Amino acid sequence: MMLNAQDVAATPDELVSKVYLPERKGALQVEMVAAARQYGMLVYPLAPELEAVLQEVRAGHPVLVLQNLRFGWWPQWHFAVVTGYDSKKEVLILHSGTEENYRLPVRAFMATWKRSEQWARVILPPGQLPATAEPLTFLMAAHDLETTQQTRAAKSAYKAAAEAWPDQPAAMLGLGNLAYQQGHWSEAEEYYRAMTKRFPDISAGWNNLAEALSKQGKDEESFAMLNKAQEAKKRSQKQGSD
Amino acid sequence: MQAIRSYTQSVSAIMALVMVLSSMWAIPASANIVGTGELLTEQRADVDREALMGMLEREDVKSTLASMGVGEQEVRDRIQSLTPSELADFQQQLAEAPTGEGVVGIIVLFLLVFIITDMLCATDIFPFINCIR
Repeated sequence: MMLNAQDVAATPDELVSKVYLPERKGALQVEMVAAARQYGMLVYPLAPELEAVLQEVRAGHPVLVLQNLRFGWWPQWHFAVVTGYDSKKEVLILHSGTEENYRLPVRAFMATWKRSEQWARVILPPGQLPATAEPLTFLMAAHDLETTQQTRAAKSAYKAAAEAWPDQPAAMLGLGNLAYQQGHWSEAEEYYRAMTKRFPDISAGWNNLAEALSKQGKDEESFAMLNKAQEAKKRSQKQGSD
Repeated sequence: MQAIRSYTQSVSAIMALVMVLSSMWAIPASANIVGTGELLTEQRADVDREALMGMLEREDVKSTLASMGVGEQEVRDRIQSLTPSELADFQQQLAEAPTGEGVVGIIVLFLLVFIITDMLCATDIFPFINCIR
């Protein structure tokens, strides 16, 4: 359901084979998240607060939550999707099990949700930012896509991040690294160059620029960039010790 | 023997050239690109560190620490020496910190910082904690 909301064609049967563990009669958090990533979706961990969930729901993003329907010492774990909120009656609308519009008072929800340490995830197409997105958390989620070989998804996530938060160097570095990993040296060079221009004090940018240059056989320039990387490193160490 | 001697000079010249060329070429090639993840952990650590430092700015925290005989600069130095993974251990507390965390909570957090740095032999405040290094 989370996937269908984002116009991903995935049939229940297809997903069951991906996440359902018959002997445990259910799915694990890791698998739920990994399955979404296999469809090129970005999985964003929400802050463990009800307000964050409500904010996402208001923005039209369904939220995947983990509940413990019984007690801590005898758990009954259960995944549900929060799809709406009735603020007048303080009732959450959940897609729970096979029930589509399950209404659950906030108090009851909080009791079951607290026992999962308020686990909540938003699953979105990578170019779209969650309503409560924090730059570093979002970039880490984008990096998860990079490490799971979802290169195209990672790229659009980094691009969205670079646009939304121009002060985040990791977005630029990520774009450069993606191009580098695919062997697009000159494209990588461009991103790294842009990064060193904006963030001259971060040695990673200079270092990777040197790498991209040397791959293109521009050894002399590459050497100069390595020196700049050293300089930047020294500068930042000096700042740290002050 | 004489014949070998006459070769050595030219051979060593060639060898020296090979060494110089290979080392020049090897410097950029042996270094690797810095991963996005590395930069991100570093930045997360910076943010966490700043959050900790920010807590130190509060007057009530300062006075409590002073009454315990702990210098502010000392705490600052300790925070600076925490690694990203150690900082990540405080993440839960840090996330809740800026909004209405009481003095007691913050002091406990700083005590944890001291215990960790004590374990790493950076400080020796608690005699009952043995250095792990």
